[in-house]
Amino acid sequence: MKKTLLMSAAALAFASVASAQVKVGNPMAVTGPIPDLVAPMVDAVNLAVAHVNEQGGVLGQEYVMVAADSGCDPAAAVDAVTKLVNVDQVSALIGPVCSGATIAQATSVAIPAGVVTLSVSASSPAISTLEEGTDLVFRTAASDAYQGVALAELAMASGISDIAVSYAQDDYNAALAAVFAEAFAGMGGTVTANEAHEPDKASYRSEVATMGSTSDNLALFAYYGSGGITLMRNALETGAFSTFIGADGMLAQETIDQIGAENMGNATFTTSASDPTRNAFVAWSALADAAGVPASDPFVANSYDAAFMMALAIEAAGSADRDAIAAGLRAISGPDGETILPGEFAKAKEILAAGGSINYDGGSGPQDFDANGDVAGFFSSNVVVDGSWSATLLK
Amino acid sequence: MWDAFGFEFINFYLIPGLVLGCIYALGAIGITLTFGILRFANFAHGEVMMSSAYLTYTFMALAASFGLSLVPLVAAIPAAVLTIAIALLIDHFFYRPFRKSETIIIVMASFGMMLMVRALVPVIWGPNQITFVRGITPMKPYLDGMLLVQDKQWLIVIGTVVVMTLFSLLMNFTRIGKAMRAVSDSPDLARVTGINVETVIRATWIIGGFCAAVAGVFLAMNTQQLSVTMGFRMLLPMFAAAILGGIGRPVGAIVGGMVIGLAEELIAYPWQAAVMQLVWWFSEVINASGMTDWAKAVHKQMRGTPLLSPGYKAGVAFGIMVIMLIVRPAGLFKGRVF
Repeated sequence: MKKTLLMSAAALAFASVASAQVKVGNPMAVTGPIPDLVAPMVDAVNLAVAHVNEQGGVLGQEYVMVAADSGCDPAAAVDAVTKLVNVDQVSALIGPVCSGATIAQATSVAIPAGVVTLSVSASSPAISTLEEGTDLVFRTAASDAYQGVALAELAMASGISDIAVSYAQDDYNAALAAVFAEAFAGMGGTVTANEAHEPDKASYRSEVATMGSTSDNLALFAYYGSGGITLMRNALETGAFSTFIGADGMLAQETIDQIGAENMGNATFTTSASDPTRNAFVAWSALADAAGVPASDPFVANSYDAAFMMALAIEAAGSADRDAIAAGLRAISGPDGETILPGEFAKAKEILAAGGSINYDGGSGPQDFDANGDVAGFFSSNVVVDGSWSATLLK
Repeated sequence: MWDAFGFEFINFYLIPGLVLGCIYALGAIGITLTFGILRFANFAHGEVMMSSAYLTYTFMALAASFGLSLVPLVAAIPAAVLTIAIALLIDHFFYRPFRKSETIIIVMASFGMMLMVRALVPVIWGPNQITFVRGITPMKPYLDGMLLVQDKQWLIVIGTVVVMTLFSLLMNFTRIGKAMRAVSDSPDLARVTGINVETVIRATWIIGGFCAAVAGVFLAMNTQQLSVTMGFRMLLPMFAAAILGGIGRPVGAIVGGMVIGLAEELIAYPWQAAVMQLVWWFSEVINASGMTDWAKAVHKQMRGTPLLSPGYKAGVAFGIMVIMLIVRPAGLFKGRVF
């Protein structure tokens, strides 16, 4: 009898602990081809969670991120998210980093289960039109429909008139390459070759040799850790290309460390960036600096914003029910309402409790969702200066 | 921008293909040996390759911390010894208990081993890629600058030839080599004639492990970096090579590896443009200027277009494997048919 009592008491205690938490899944690409890029993004998510909990938590409960590893791989993402949705019973998901992983987990797990996905960096244009009749997929990073054009403008401005395009066969790189090639041709440039390459091969010498006969300039769309570095190295070794442009997937310190800064004088990569003159960025960067998180690294601000907005959305919805969260996200993202800057969770709670409406303004941008759950954003071009990446905001 | 014809074919397609083929061949030897003698497909073979590359890197880093700089091939010697020890330990603890079981069980055991090793490596060395050799390896000119070869490419090809020669001497002229071939042909008959099958199995792991260790180091030298999936992504082409050559036939594995490596690199060659170049030369010889202009124009248009999109590289290895299984299941060198 005593034992039963004890056990039921323990069960009760356990249940009350469980009910005092708001759980959100965070399946980031901790392993896979871009671990270097993802590590500070994870830190940013955890920083947002710490800020929310310091200021009273969500709905008066503890805000908990259940971490999982989507590996930047569609199959791994489906496994990780299935576990988060079915076993951990999370209220919503933030995080899937890579476009392929985000699309796969959304179409086969999250959307059927009615769970909101708020991606922090998936930028494929395909994600805009992923859903039919539901409103479950959001992202805090701008679509590559814009980045591809920004990159083409950058190439034109730097005097490139002909270019060969090589892209890895995945949702992010292939879509970005298509946008870029179309924009570049539309601006009067010549795309001399446009070929897919398979990620993770030991050698790309034949690919770069074939394409190198058509141009000196290469637009390279790849993840640095699954062939991007090897392809660039092979292109430099064979002398097939001398100038390189590309996007976020290559923008890691790892790329410079492996290839060598002295060989990367003619490499420019764009990425999603923050406008450092905005008030919201100043607020974010103060918080990030205090916590030792690199505020301006690719998608780090977007990651903080996603975790913070999810907490605001649940608070605004008044419940952690899966059905309520999409409406909550739209309610707190504006453009109307009182401006909430990064870290101002207590202030937002007060306004919401008083029946007011809020508009979160993030470090990465205004974060106002359009009908597709997309946001506008800024981009930067990055070149190697003194052995590390140096960013310039593109206007 | 340079002309991708003439010696370019040798420099940028044939030699890289041969180098890749050497790595595939060394890996496929281990696979075909375990297939022939232990009669199971060892999925963990790629991970053995990867381990040897990581161990080599570790020995280089250790030596560097004492102020010594080791070339990869020297650091590879202790790494190969450790890799062989790992292969023997895996066999002792994970495969040996299943020796008398159904083949599928030991195949699954090797599959589990593959996942375990691949999960363990990031725990020790972290999930990031590791730089094996930093920077760009220049291509050195030979024959008045026509032939361009990297030092690492010489090293890999010559190293492979040396290992292969030793291997074939071992298989053909030593007692243990003959015993291995006997067990491969018929384990029961070999046991009856007094061959110690466990010794043969140990020898198989030692030789297969050594070849895998060398292949892993060569792969790391070729790509100049280490990643957790580097062994796994070699697995399909290596299996394709083993099946192409004939299962249980080391010579077949070598030939199969070369064929797969060359095929993967050569499909990206603009063969259509090469044909147009021939038409162009021919029309110049017969003085048909209209035809020359036409051929020149088409050639210019086509020379950046590979025969088959390099996005299908792995498909080539797989395609060769499937066609071989349909047309000639025993492989080029009459291997075992299951």
